[in-house]
Amino acid sequence: MALLELPAWTTLAPALLLALTALVLFIIDSISPDAQNSGLLAGTTAAGSLASLGVAVWYLLAGVGTPTVDGGRGIIDVLGDQFVVDQLALFFMIIVAVVTALVAVASYDYMEDHTYQAEYYSLVLLAATGMSFMAAANSLVTIFIALELASLPSYALVSILKDNRGSVEGGLKYFLIGALSSAIFVYGISLVYGATGHLQLENIAAVIEAGEADPYGGLLGLGILMLIGGFAFKTASVPFHFWAPEAYEGAPAPISAFLSSASKAAGFVIAFRVFTEAFPVAETASAIGVDWTLAFIILAIVTMTLGNFAAATQNNVKRMLAYSSIGHAGYALIGLAGISAGGGELVMGAAMMHLFVYGFMNTGAFLFVALAEYWGVGRTFEDYNGLGRRAPVACFALAIFMFSLAGIPPLGGFWSKYFLFTGALEAGLIVVAAALVINSALSLYYYSRLVKAVWIEEPVTERDGLSQPVGLYAAIVVAAVMTLALLPLFGPVADTAVDAATAMLA
Amino acid sequence: MTVGVEHYVLLSMALFAIGLFGILTRRNALMFLMSVELMLNAANINLIAFAFYHGNLSGQVFALFTMALAAAEVAVGLGIILLLYRNFRDVDVTVPTTMRW
Repeated sequence: MALLELPAWTTLAPALLLALTALVLFIIDSISPDAQNSGLLAGTTAAGSLASLGVAVWYLLAGVGTPTVDGGRGIIDVLGDQFVVDQLALFFMIIVAVVTALVAVASYDYMEDHTYQAEYYSLVLLAATGMSFMAAANSLVTIFIALELASLPSYALVSILKDNRGSVEGGLKYFLIGALSSAIFVYGISLVYGATGHLQLENIAAVIEAGEADPYGGLLGLGILMLIGGFAFKTASVPFHFWAPEAYEGAPAPISAFLSSASKAAGFVIAFRVFTEAFPVAETASAIGVDWTLAFIILAIVTMTLGNFAAATQNNVKRMLAYSSIGHAGYALIGLAGISAGGGELVMGAAMMHLFVYGFMNTGAFLFVALAEYWGVGRTFEDYNGLGRRAPVACFALAIFMFSLAGIPPLGGFWSKYFLFTGALEAGLIVVAAALVINSALSLYYYSRLVKAVWIEEPVTERDGLSQPVGLYAAIVVAAVMTLALLPLFGPVADTAVDAATAMLA
Repeated sequence: MTVGVEHYVLLSMALFAIGLFGILTRRNALMFLMSVELMLNAANINLIAFAFYHGNLSGQVFALFTMALAAAEVAVGLGIILLLYRNFRDVDVTVPTTMRW
């Protein structure tokens, strides 16, 4: 294999390819600024993200980032350890690339009348670049910069429908809460730096393990609390979840899909990396007096309960999906709540599996909303009544997404929740496991309500035939096929996730 | 007398609290942006003071990055506030309420 001769920075290729494609889009746009060649632009975006996906999968299969003791090529440090490419990084780069490709294909139809096509697609790719770098960032500096690279284009993307009041309002709220939380996040970084004298994750851990952290007392704990605030914003969990319903509802639906799947996964990967690498549970607990998993136990229960109960009361489909996305962030937070001094591989791996499955089923669900907006059928459950007769393929895919999100066996969403449940029990979090079961049962109510609306209810008004936009249909069908294909493929995905979690916690 | 690192931390915490107070009380989107800038600069004071205290440069370098990112954030934010004004004829953040739940 020629892979060994490649320099270390090439292991960041999945992220670099996304950045390169964004630059290619700029070139295309500067050659013919007035042309509205949406096929070329969407195609380039999809090709770039598929290339990124292919390279990431290839690296993962070739053993890049797998520890040498497990027969891999070793974890690779790039740029003086500012970035690290391991299984965790590649796993999340795959999620980001998949979601970006689906969103690009779906946007071909959804954004076809938009004036600023090239800007739209390059912003998507730049945000995806930031998310991909977040997966590999290994110091608080690169984490913060990658996080901002993901956030700034996202603010612009949410408010890209410039004459649409909902889009501007969603973008404004996303930006205001984002700016506040990034200020809190960077202040938390400065406090952690003050307590330990380092920004590199391993060096922070080394200082904490040596018991030399925090000569003043309190700074480290406060800093960690503020870092949790930053992660909560990016993953749309309590207490910084207020932006999510507004931004997802106001944004163009493909962007809602992008933010709720890829951006959430990227937020979780930095949370996983920072808390497993920089703040070892036992030593940090003795330094600050509290076990940080306690914060995540509370946040997980509150987030999933709030998200699901709010989703159950919604009348607007997109808003229901937005709240359900908050609920799913609560499920994934169990992955951090279950980490303990000697274990937690299963529960963290389960959270990664959940984010992977979620990348398909939730993107697909939001893309169905995009399709409904493209048809112009309206936004509430009643407006969706009887769509199954007009568009059986898309509505069948919707049923798959909904049942997988609810966690009906044997779909992928069931298996990741099952592993989260057993992992939580193994970690002794009986209350969290009970909250997971109760919330999943509740979520079945509002997910099946949507399926019932499209398949069983009579339409409120008689409709003419609905068009079949190629891009949106292709993206929805691919997402549905992948959600089903995860049944036989769930074994390898689960193994990779648990391996990555084990390597992180070792 | 010498100025110890704890004085810098007190200053930065005061600045952070002023910024947070501004965010919680001001309704003008531009004042909101200025308050966020105060909070970011509070973090910069911390980073530079701690870089001096610990005797390494990574905090100072990170402060430079933070300033650049703050500028980029303001650029995007002003764009969104401009859109806000065009659509709602106001920069009051409590005016856009088309999606209240």
